[in-house]
Amino acid sequence: MHRLSFDRPRRRAAPSGGPLIASGRPDARTKLDGSAVFGADLDVPGMWWAALVPSPVAHGRLRSVDLSPARALEGVVAIGAADLAALLPGATGDPDRPIFPTDTVVYRNQPVAAVAAPTRELARRAARAVRVEVDPLPVISDLEQVFPDWPGSNAESSPYVAAHVRAREGDLDAIFQGAETVVRETYRTSSVHQVALEPHACLAEVKDGKWRVRTCTQTPFGTREDVASLLGVPEESVVVEGTWVGGGFGGKGAALLEPYALLLAKATGRPVRLALGYREEFLLGRTTLPSVIRMETAVTGGRIVGRRVRLLLDVGTSLPGRDFATGYSIGFLLGPYRTPAFEVEGYAVRTNKPAFGPHRAPFAPQCVFVLESHLDHVAREAGLDPLEFRAAHLWKEGDTTPLGQAVGPFGLVTAFELARATAAQWRADAGPDSGVGVAVGFWSTGTGAGGEVRLRLSPTDLTVVQGEREIGSGSVLAGIASVAARSLELPRERVSVAYEDTSSAPFDSGVFGSRTTAALGRAVQAASLTLLEEIGKRLGGSGPVHLAVRAGEIVAEQGSTRRPIRELCSDSERSAGGIVASGRHYGTSGTIDERKVEAGTFYPYTDFTGAAHAAQVTVDRATGTVRVTRYAAFHDVGTVIDPMTAPAQVEGGIVMGLGTALTEEALWSEDGRLLNAGLLDYRIPTLGEVPPIQVTFVEGFAGAGPFGAKGLGEPPMIPVPAAVALAVRDATGAHVTELPLSSERVARALKLL
Amino acid sequence: MPPFDFVTPSSVDAAIAELRTGAPGEVTVLAGGTDVMFDLDGGKSAPRRVVSLRRLPWRTVDWNGPVLTVGSTLPLRSLERDPELPRQHPGLLQAIRAVGSVQLRHRATLGGNLGRAAPASDLIPVLLALDAEVDVVGPTGARSLSVDQFIRGARSTALASGELIRSVRFPEPRPSAYLWQRVRPANDISQIAVAAAYSPSDHRWRLAVGGIPPRASRVPEAEEMLGTAAPTEAATRAAAERAARHLTIVTDRRASEEYRRHLVETLVERAVRAVMVSRPELR
Amino acid sequence: MTPTSLALTVNGKPRAVEDVPASERLLDTVRWRLGLKGTKEGCRSGDCGACTVLVDGVSMLSCLTLTHEVEGTSLTTIEGMADDPVGREVQNAFERAGALQCGYCTPGFVVALAGLLRERGRSATVDELLSDLGGNLCRCTGYLSIARAVALLRPEAP
Repeated sequence: MHRLSFDRPRRRAAPSGGPLIASGRPDARTKLDGSAVFGADLDVPGMWWAALVPSPVAHGRLRSVDLSPARALEGVVAIGAADLAALLPGATGDPDRPIFPTDTVVYRNQPVAAVAAPTRELARRAARAVRVEVDPLPVISDLEQVFPDWPGSNAESSPYVAAHVRAREGDLDAIFQGAETVVRETYRTSSVHQVALEPHACLAEVKDGKWRVRTCTQTPFGTREDVASLLGVPEESVVVEGTWVGGGFGGKGAALLEPYALLLAKATGRPVRLALGYREEFLLGRTTLPSVIRMETAVTGGRIVGRRVRLLLDVGTSLPGRDFATGYSIGFLLGPYRTPAFEVEGYAVRTNKPAFGPHRAPFAPQCVFVLESHLDHVAREAGLDPLEFRAAHLWKEGDTTPLGQAVGPFGLVTAFELARATAAQWRADAGPDSGVGVAVGFWSTGTGAGGEVRLRLSPTDLTVVQGEREIGSGSVLAGIASVAARSLELPRERVSVAYEDTSSAPFDSGVFGSRTTAALGRAVQAASLTLLEEIGKRLGGSGPVHLAVRAGEIVAEQGSTRRPIRELCSDSERSAGGIVASGRHYGTSGTIDERKVEAGTFYPYTDFTGAAHAAQVTVDRATGTVRVTRYAAFHDVGTVIDPMTAPAQVEGGIVMGLGTALTEEALWSEDGRLLNAGLLDYRIPTLGEVPPIQVTFVEGFAGAGPFGAKGLGEPPMIPVPAAVALAVRDATGAHVTELPLSSERVARALKLL
Repeated sequence: MPPFDFVTPSSVDAAIAELRTGAPGEVTVLAGGTDVMFDLDGGKSAPRRVVSLRRLPWRTVDWNGPVLTVGSTLPLRSLERDPELPRQHPGLLQAIRAVGSVQLRHRATLGGNLGRAAPASDLIPVLLALDAEVDVVGPTGARSLSVDQFIRGARSTALASGELIRSVRFPEPRPSAYLWQRVRPANDISQIAVAAAYSPSDHRWRLAVGGIPPRASRVPEAEEMLGTAAPTEAATRAAAERAARHLTIVTDRRASEEYRRHLVETLVERAVRAVMVSRPELR
Repeated sequence: MTPTSLALTVNGKPRAVEDVPASERLLDTVRWRLGLKGTKEGCRSGDCGACTVLVDGVSMLSCLTLTHEVEGTSLTTIEGMADDPVGREVQNAFERAGALQCGYCTPGFVVALAGLLRERGRSATVDELLSDLGGNLCRCTGYLSIARAVALLRPEAP
C-alpha cells in the first residue's frame, strides 16, 4: 500500500515571482521559430479546399438549395442535404442537429451546403454560385422581442424558451414587506466573443473506413463524440487528431467544421481543408449572448434578509433541454454570499442567432458584474459601508450555499481582505478623478468530468501519455508535468507530456472548465500509485517505493534496496519505451438540495475557488473614458502547481476581462445580422491599455486537484468587469448598469448628455 | 475576385497613360494599398488593371523654408519619423500616429489616404487645419487645389480621369493639435476627432472636425469666435459649443448623435488649449 | 503586363515564384507557395498583426500586401529570425520571459519587434517600443509578459 507524500501547504499568501520567472515552457521554441503547426497550417499533397454556403437570412423556410451552378464549375464537388443519404448509408444522425437544414434556417449564415475544389479561389467562387432560395420568416433578434416584460406564468411552455429554472427558499413576499430597505434594479449585459486569434480550421480525410480529422480542438474526444453523433457513425470509426491550438476560450470545445470537412472528404476521395476566415469566426461563433437581469434585495439591520434574482438569457438557437448556461450561471448571481431566503428564476430565450456557447468562465463575469454592482448599490442605498456589507456575508468553509451544498475549504475571505487592504492603500494616494473598486467571484474546478493518463517510465525519463493538446495555458505541458514530477519525486526536466490522438490515447473530457491540471493531475496521481506499486512488486520487498536520479539514470529505492529502472524493465518494455501504468480520475461533484428546486436543473460545485480583485481607474469626466491604471488580483488557488504559467493565466484572464468590461460588444441588427464581425469594430484590448497587474496567490485552502490545487484558467476573468465598474463608481459616483462600460454609457451615467 | 493586370510604371507619364487605358472603375491606383485591399476583397471594386505607383519618384520629404512638401507615395511612417515634424507640425504627427499601426504606416501614404477620402480619415482634419494643398498631375498638366476643394464627400474627390496626386504641401509650420475619441487608444477609428491650428501669418485659428460622415470639415463660425491670438476661456467654450451645434451629426453604431456633439464640444476646447499650451506666445 | 515569374529573396535565399495572380496576397504566397507556415493568417484585415513580415527589413502586414508589390525585394519571415542576430535576441528574450501561451500571435510579435529594433536603433525606450507594437494583438498573455520580454532587450533604456 503506497501513499504519495505531498506537502499540505500551509495557509499563506505570496505575490507571484518577480519580473522574470525561470523559463519552463517546453513549447516555447517551436512557437518562436514558426515550426508549430496549427489547424490552418495543415497542408498535404492533393489537398482540396472547402467552403460553406451560408443562409442569407436569419430565419426562413428553405425553398431550394440549387447546387448545379457550383457543380458546373470544373473540378467542384458540392454537397447538400440531399447528398447525405449516399454519403452516410444507413446512418441516422442527430435529428435535432441536422448537418444541413431541410426545412427551416434559424440563424444567418447557417450552413445549408458545402463545396470543395482544388483551389481556395475556386471553392469560394463555387460557394457563392450556389443558389439558395428562402422565404423569409419573422426574425427574433433579441430577447426583449420575446419578453418585453418579465415572462408570465406558463412562459416555460413557449417555443422560445429553451430552458426554465426556478428555485426558492422562504416567503420572499413577506420578507420584502417587512424589510427596512428593498432595492430593485435591472441590468443588461452584451454579447462577447472568445476571439481566439486563430480561426477554426481542420483537415479531413476518409481512409480505410475511418473518418479522420486533424483539427485545432480543445476537446479531441469531445469532438470525436460530437462528430460521430452528428454523422450518425460509430465513435470508433472517427479519429480526431488535435493540432496546436491558437487559443480556445471555450470556442473550440465542440465540433464545428469537422462534419462538413469529413463529408466533403468522403465525397471527393481527397483530403479536404476547411478553415474559417475571421469574419466567419464571428458570424458562426457560438458564444455569450445578451441578458437582462433583475435583482431585488431586502436588507434589515445591515444584513441581507432576502433576495430575488431573475435572469433572461439569450441563448440563440440552443436546443430545448440542451442548455446548461441558465442553471449554472444563476449560481453566480447568488454566491458567494450567505442568503437566508431567496428566489431565483431564469429563462433561456431562443433567438435567431447561433447557439449560446461557452466562453471563458461562461457568463460568470457578467453575473458577477451584476451581483457586485447591485450589492454595492444596495449597501449605499441602505446607508451601509459597501465593503463591510459584502464582507459580512461572504461564504466561509462550513457555510451552506443557497442550494444546500456545504462550502469546502475556501480562501475568499483571505483574498478579499488582501484586496481591501490594497484598495485602501491605493485610495489614499489617488487623484481627483480616480477610484478603486474591489470585487469578488468564485468558481468551481471542473473535476466533475473525468479522464485518464498513461505513465511511461523509461530508464532515464518519465512521459505522461495523454489525449489533450496544449491550448496555451500550460495546463497540459507544464501543469500535468509538474504534478507528475512532484508525485514521483523526479526533477521536472525528466518529465515530458506526450500527445496521442483518439485512436490510441486514454480518454479525457477536454481542456475546459479549469479542469485540466486538476482532473488529469488526479489521474496522474492515480497512475503514479499504480506505477510505484508495480515497481514495488518487481523489487520484491515491502515498504514504500521512491524514485530518484543516480548517476544520470532513474532508480527505484525501497528500504535499503536500490535498482535502476533499466534493470527492472522487461525486454519488451525496454523496446516499448519503459514501464507503463495507467490511472484515472472519475468525475465527481457535490450535491445540491433538490427540495429547493422547483424547475429545471441546477449544478453543484466540485470545490470553491475564490478570487478577489482590486482595480484602480481614472475617469475622464468630460468624455466618460475609463482608463485602468492599476490592478491587483488575489487568487485562492489551493496550491500553485507551476510558478511560471500560473501568474501568466491571471494576467491573461484579467486583460480578457478588461475587454468584457470596457470595449467588447457584439452588435446585432433587427434582421439577425452581426454588425461588427471583425477585429476593427469588435475591440479586444491592445497592448497600450494594460495596467500594471500585481498577482498574489493564497494557498492552503484545498481544492479538488492534486496537492489541493484549484483550477485557474477561468477565475481570473470573473471579477474583472465588476472591479472596474465599482472603481468607476468610486471615482465619479456614476452607476452604470450595462456592460460594457463604454465611454458613452459612462458619460450618460455621469449625466453629461 | 476577377483577375486583373498589375503594372508598375516607372515614370509619371507612363503612370498617367496607364490610367487612361480603361473606363472609370476599371483601373485602380495602388499607393500603399492598405485601403484598396478592402475594396478588392469586398468586391466593391473589380478593376481590370491595378497601377502600382511604387516606382514613381514621390517618396520624398522636402523642407524648403517654411514649406513642407510630402510626396504622395511616401509611407506615413517615414514622415512620422522625420526629426523636424514634432517641432514644425505637432498636430500632423499626432494624426499620423493615430493611423492604424506601425506595420500599416510602413505602407499607408498621404496620397492614398487623401485619394480614399474616407469619412473617418485621421489625416484629413489636420490637413484642413494646416491649409494643406494637393498637387495633382494628369494628362492636361499639373494643378493644385486645397484639401477642402479636393475632398468632395464620402469617398469622393476632385481627381479627374487620368489624374494622380503628386504631393501635399503645407505652407507654413503651425502650432497644432489633433485630439480624438475612440473606443481604444490604438489601432482604431475615431468616433470624433478635432484638429486645431493657429496660423502665425494671419493670426487666425483653424478648427476641423473629423469622424462625422460624409467628410471632415472646418467650422468657420467657431474659428471666428476664437479671434486672433489667444482666446479667453469663455471664447474657447463658446467656440466649442458653436462647433458642436453647427455640425450635422447622426447616430450610428459607433456613437449616438448627442454623445458625438458632446465630444465635439469637449475636444474643440481641449485642442485649442493644447495648441496654446504648446506655444507660450499664445497664452 | 503582369509578370509571370516573380523574383524574391526569402530569408536570405533567392526564390522565384511562378504564375502568381496579380490579386494574390503576400500572406498566401508566403504560406502556400513558399510553404512557410510560420507567418499566421489571423484577421486578414490588417487589424491583428499576426501576418507581419519584413520587406527589406521593414515590417508590413502581408495580408494587405499584393505579392507583386514586393517583387525584387528581400523578404524575412519568422523562419528567418534565427539567422539574424536581432531576431535571435528577440526569440531568446521571449523565451526567457515566457512571453507566449498559445503561440499564434508570437511570430507576428517577433518579426514586428525585430523590425522595430532595427528601425529605431538602440536608443528607443521600452515604452516607445511597446507603443509601436500596438498593431499586434494577443488574446492569451495580457501583454505583460511580452512587455517583460521587451524590457529584457532594453535593460539600459527603461
